Amino acid sequence: MAFEKKRAKTKQDIPTASLPDIIFMLLLFFMVTTTLKEFNVLVKFTLPEAEAIEKIENKRIVSYIWVGYDERIQIDDNIIDLKELGNIMYKKREAIPNVIVSFRVDKNSKMGIVTDIQQELRKVHCRRINYSAKFKS
Amino acid sequence: MVKLKKRNRGSADIPTSSMADIAFLLLIFFLVSTTIDVDTGIGLVLPEWVPEDEKVEVKIGPDRLITLNINEFGDVLLNNEVFPVPRIKDNLIERIRSKIELPAEKKLIVSVKTDRKTNYNLYIQAIDQVKAAYFQVREEYALSKWGKKLYEIKENSEEEKELRDKIPISISIAEPQVVK
Repeated sequence: MAFEKKRAKTKQDIPTASLPDIIFMLLLFFMVTTTLKEFNVLVKFTLPEAEAIEKIENKRIVSYIWVGYDERIQIDDNIIDLKELGNIMYKKREAIPNVIVSFRVDKNSKMGIVTDIQQELRKVHCRRINYSAKFKS
Repeated sequence: MVKLKKRNRGSADIPTSSMADIAFLLLIFFLVSTTIDVDTGIGLVLPEWVPEDEKVEVKIGPDRLITLNINEFGDVLLNNEVFPVPRIKDNLIERIRSKIELPAEKKLIVSVKTDRKTNYNLYIQAIDQVKAAYFQVREEYALSKWGKKLYEIKENSEEEKELRDKIPISISIAEPQVVK
């Protein structure tokens, strides 16, 4: 009588057919969650440096205003005029009620332009602002 | 004798074993190419817009008001005296500390006023000093009361609320004036 080794008849390898699906799920998750908001910055600016800076974790509610060294104002991908700023920001606030406006202003610019923008923002009730600054190390 | 040999046909299905690798490559590409840079800066809340004819003047006593004027020549005036920027923090800390236990209507207000020609960088440095002073007092308070550092305190927690009540950061951007 021959001894036969008892072996399970079932296959022992992991089914890999669904592996691509799992990976695709991961891929889709990362593609959806990462915000790819790259702007064409048309103005030249150097950010000021500061110590007591905070991080804005929620990038989705941030809207940027760039002001270059030549005092040109950029919102999204366009250079705009100060007069249009109110309207644009009003629409932004309608879309995102708790919008944070981040100022990316060249450090050698004058306060006049910043004050003007602030006044426009106050008129359309975009009151949460942030002066973008690099960490002074 | 004719040998009838069955032709060996290639399998008709696409090999799926490498699919996972392809998907992995894509995944890695997206992971690497997306930049998650967090915006850092100094947060402020602008005062509400009030039309010219509805403005009400509120008198604020000199004991709770700190004026910070920055003129076009780069002079920083703290309570109308020329003051070096890096020392603003130390000067403010004492005054903020003394007002921790006072009610809300007696807390400190820092009023910042600038000229149109003031350098933006200088303005940021000054605001930074004020913020740093507030943060330091908050940190001291949190450490002595709960033994926690500022970053350990969670957002919207009871502790954060208490910090906000006790040491509110009130930086007031002065209304621009028209000089005749």
